Amino acid sequence: MTNPERDTLARLARFGSTLAVALVFAGLAFAMLSLPAEPTGLAAAVRAELPGTGAANPVTAVLLNFRGYDTLLEIAVLLLALLAIWTMRRGQLRPQRDPGDVLESLASIQAPVMLVVAGYLLWAGGSAPGGAFQAGGILAAAGVMLVLAGSGWPQRLSGWPLRVALVLGLSAFICVGVAVVLGGQEFLAYPASGAATIILVLEICATVSIAVILLDMFLSVLRGRASRTDTTASIDQP
Amino acid sequence: MTALEPGSTWVVWLIVSPLAAALIAFLLPRVAAAIALANALFMGVAALALLDLVTEQGPHRYSLGGWGAPLGIDLYADPLSGVLLVVAAVVVLATLFYSRDYLARTAIGPLFWPISLFLHAALNALLLSADAFNLYVTLELLSLSAVALVALADEQRAVAAALRYLLASIVASLAYLLGVALLYHTAGVLDLAALAERATWTPATWAALGLMTAGLAVKGALFPVHFWLPGAHSYAPSPVSALLSALVVKAPFYVLLRLWYAPFAGAPEAVGTLLGLLGALAIVWGSLQALRQARLKLLIAYSTVAQIGYLFLFFPLAQSRSALQGVTVFILGHALAKAAMFLAAGNMHKCLGHDRIQDLHRVARELPVTLAAFAVGGVCIMGLPPSGNFIGKWLLIEAAFAQGEWGWAVVVVAGGLLSAAYVFRVLGHAFTVDDKPVDASGAPASMAWAAFALALLALTLGVFAAPLIDLIGGPGETAVAHLSSREP
Repeated sequence: MTNPERDTLARLARFGSTLAVALVFAGLAFAMLSLPAEPTGLAAAVRAELPGTGAANPVTAVLLNFRGYDTLLEIAVLLLALLAIWTMRRGQLRPQRDPGDVLESLASIQAPVMLVVAGYLLWAGGSAPGGAFQAGGILAAAGVMLVLAGSGWPQRLSGWPLRVALVLGLSAFICVGVAVVLGGQEFLAYPASGAATIILVLEICATVSIAVILLDMFLSVLRGRASRTDTTASIDQP
Repeated sequence: MTALEPGSTWVVWLIVSPLAAALIAFLLPRVAAAIALANALFMGVAALALLDLVTEQGPHRYSLGGWGAPLGIDLYADPLSGVLLVVAAVVVLATLFYSRDYLARTAIGPLFWPISLFLHAALNALLLSADAFNLYVTLELLSLSAVALVALADEQRAVAAALRYLLASIVASLAYLLGVALLYHTAGVLDLAALAERATWTPATWAALGLMTAGLAVKGALFPVHFWLPGAHSYAPSPVSALLSALVVKAPFYVLLRLWYAPFAGAPEAVGTLLGLLGALAIVWGSLQALRQARLKLLIAYSTVAQIGYLFLFFPLAQSRSALQGVTVFILGHALAKAAMFLAAGNMHKCLGHDRIQDLHRVARELPVTLAAFAVGGVCIMGLPPSGNFIGKWLLIEAAFAQGEWGWAVVVVAGGLLSAAYVFRVLGHAFTVDDKPVDASGAPASMAWAAFALALLALTLGVFAAPLIDLIGGPGETAVAHLSSREP
């Protein structure tokens, strides 16, 4: 049954919201176009201070030294996101279906290559684009691929070893920060001589945590889906 | 880099201690509750010590990493952040003490402890942040921990409410982040005080003002973008409802307040008036909705929607110092009273097995302390003396008169009458007599007294308010200069 008056209202509402979105978009576009072409950012200041940071790549210097506190909190955000998924997680992962020969053999070739690439990105982060987030992302992707190819070993990490791996990055950051404070300096102020080593250690720990967190997010969602289709399929259609 | 005097590291411990405690509580679930309570106690001590420090020595800046703004990130503490840190510690301590017995009676797992510790860390980090981008990160951490805590309730509806909260929150975060990017591109710095020095009103600044205000309004549940709040705050486990309504929802308002004194200090009056009008509508709409609710926790949640409206009355009245003082005391009073009411509602829910307002019979006889906590909290929400809310409303009315804008004063008074109506509606049902049994063992004395202690603090806040008021925008200094000042 159609109600012509309601149809008109719905059309008006749609027109109104389209108009509102268009206006906001136009305003934002105008603001963007009016921005100065040469940004007045802190790039010059970062370059000037780079030698004392322990990193040759300005992005790494910003992420792990100048604004290391932001990165510390971002790693906490990642861990917290996993805990949020865990609060909604129910049930166990089903046995995998047969992935097929192609996927299985491809995965067995690609996984070691990805491991090497992740290691390279982690190391390169000191002087070129790269670093913990990229390396952790690739490691996690390798883990996801192995799970999809039917390998069981990414899931073998569980219990307290899993928990330690999850908190390693954030713990390392906190330990370094507190050690410096107890030594009489500001939180996360690395001594210039040891900065490169500290950054490398932090990046390694962060890579491990990021990889394990991302991988476990994937596994947790898989588990959640497996349990939903088992028990509450009638309530919660995908 | 020079060695610092010992007192100045309190800002660091206020952030690092709850983070470290969260990790320990995550690794060792058995001692999680003890760790969380010990940390909450320590947070109370640290917040008081910091408040003392900034009262003695004035606003305090701390350069993380030793770089200093604008290259590095600075933490910033002044009496405003000091008193908010103290009240956050008090509410968290009472709520976690309550949660020990509450969790023992539910299926909520030990993840509650690390996540609530993350929430406390996020809150403290936000209150101490002096950097526009760092504020974004702390808002993310705060929202995610709040969402996760809502989802802990073992109920499909709670998970749905949590996801709705998450989606609203993410859109709001992105709007805020885009605003930060525009500000950075225009001014080249992220530190709030440095932004204030370099702010010019270009189209990009206007866009940033709109985006960041809109994003923070969604996160702060300002009418009409409060749609996510009633579900999230009412379906969450009761201690979580208390944390969310008392503390989390105030954080975006606090960020907006800081922005209002730094990059957006020159915003035209019309923007402030608009925010004030939305606040006034929130007071009326939230109160009317609260009157209509059948469930107690939904009533309290809608009451929060209304009370948030009072905070936004600050913006049209920002010219007079008593507006900032009023809004600060109001935040403290509402935090204590609302936490008490949600904890009391949690007790009633546990004992009765439901929270239908119509069926709250015999609560007065079987749960006297719990009902007293709810009633005292309700009296504070109405704004009767000597509650902090009374002082807060009084100062807001004073600010309205000082600026000759009587309309805002009328809104403040009308909101008080409406809140009296919905509080008495609950009390009326609680005093009726019925034969149905009430299982008073559902809420042990510790839970009832935790709620009552908070209510009592809220009620007596007005007595301590005078020194607090002097702290905020202290004598001889305007509030504006006080908030955006940088340490020499």
